[in-house]
Amino acid sequence: MSTLIMIDQPPYGSWSGREALDMAFSLAAFDQPASLLFTGAGVTWLKRAQDTAGIAQKSVERNLSAAPIFGIEAILADRSACQKYGLDESSLITGVTLVDANGALLEQYDHTAFAG
Amino acid sequence: MSDTSETFTLVITGAPYSSQAPQTALGFAKAAIDAGHSIDRIFLYGDGVHLASALCTPPSDETRWPQEWADFLEQHSIPGIACIASALRRGLVNDTEQKRYQLPAANLLHPFEIAGLGEWVEGRMTSTRTLYFHAGG
Amino acid sequence: MSSFDTLHILNKSPEHPRAAQCLALLSKGDALLLTENGVLLLSAGRLPAVGKVFALSPDVSARGLGNPVGDVTVVEFGDMVSLSLQAQRVISW
Repeated sequence: MSTLIMIDQPPYGSWSGREALDMAFSLAAFDQPASLLFTGAGVTWLKRAQDTAGIAQKSVERNLSAAPIFGIEAILADRSACQKYGLDESSLITGVTLVDANGALLEQYDHTAFAG
Repeated sequence: MSDTSETFTLVITGAPYSSQAPQTALGFAKAAIDAGHSIDRIFLYGDGVHLASALCTPPSDETRWPQEWADFLEQHSIPGIACIASALRRGLVNDTEQKRYQLPAANLLHPFEIAGLGEWVEGRMTSTRTLYFHAGG
Repeated sequence: MSSFDTLHILNKSPEHPRAAQCLALLSKGDALLLTENGVLLLSAGRLPAVGKVFALSPDVSARGLGNPVGDVTVVEFGDMVSLSLQAQRVISW
């Protein structure tokens, strides 16, 4: 049973993205196939060089780079949202696959969920 | 009544009194039971954990959603689980966590329990459907 | 035996970014169930052209939208339960 966890909220301003990541890690820990899909403003999670020292939060960049090690199958990002937020291959963290977030993509998963 | 009996896991991520999520979820849960289905478990995640607070005290002419849910869970022997990481971050603790972190009080409403995300993974694997009740907006 | 590919449950008002996202992803063969603030789509007059549209009765009534016009079926919680089982998958937006 494959699961797609969707993140459409940007990091730091709310906790829902972090909690979405915990859901994906938890699935992977139980050997359940899980992928992450970033859409809308959520794609800004994937920006390189996030310096969070001034807001006393852990950088999500490090969380995300650990995703493949924890068994997350894919980190997907909606192509048009990346364009909207000025993200291209040089500004995205490594390991991100650009996709078109449409009905055909969702049909590839048995289960799709947001964290909040 | 349906021909076949199915099982549901319901995940509530919207808090009472800041979202309609717990009410919509309760309406769904009651209808599922009425149709002869069963609820495997309720999993409270993110802000949804506030539903398990024993200290919610709305004005007397408003519905006490935590109590409504607690009564429903007891009546049908359905486990209600609050995610431990979400709960501790938001100040929802049981006796065990109160002792572990030496906190001044515990506030988990009976019969809710506190456990990890594994409960969600398991519910999702064993239920026919897992439905999410998020905050609206 | 599924009647729908995906049941999309939308509880966000039409102005919410996730409402736009949900409507953009609706495919032929899908169903859309409007709940909570999602039912405001009925008065905003922007019902999607594809898929079958349902709206949850108590939320429709609460917002003063009884007897909505257009191609929408007003349903009860019991129907919401059956709809969730009739679809191959359910997405709560």
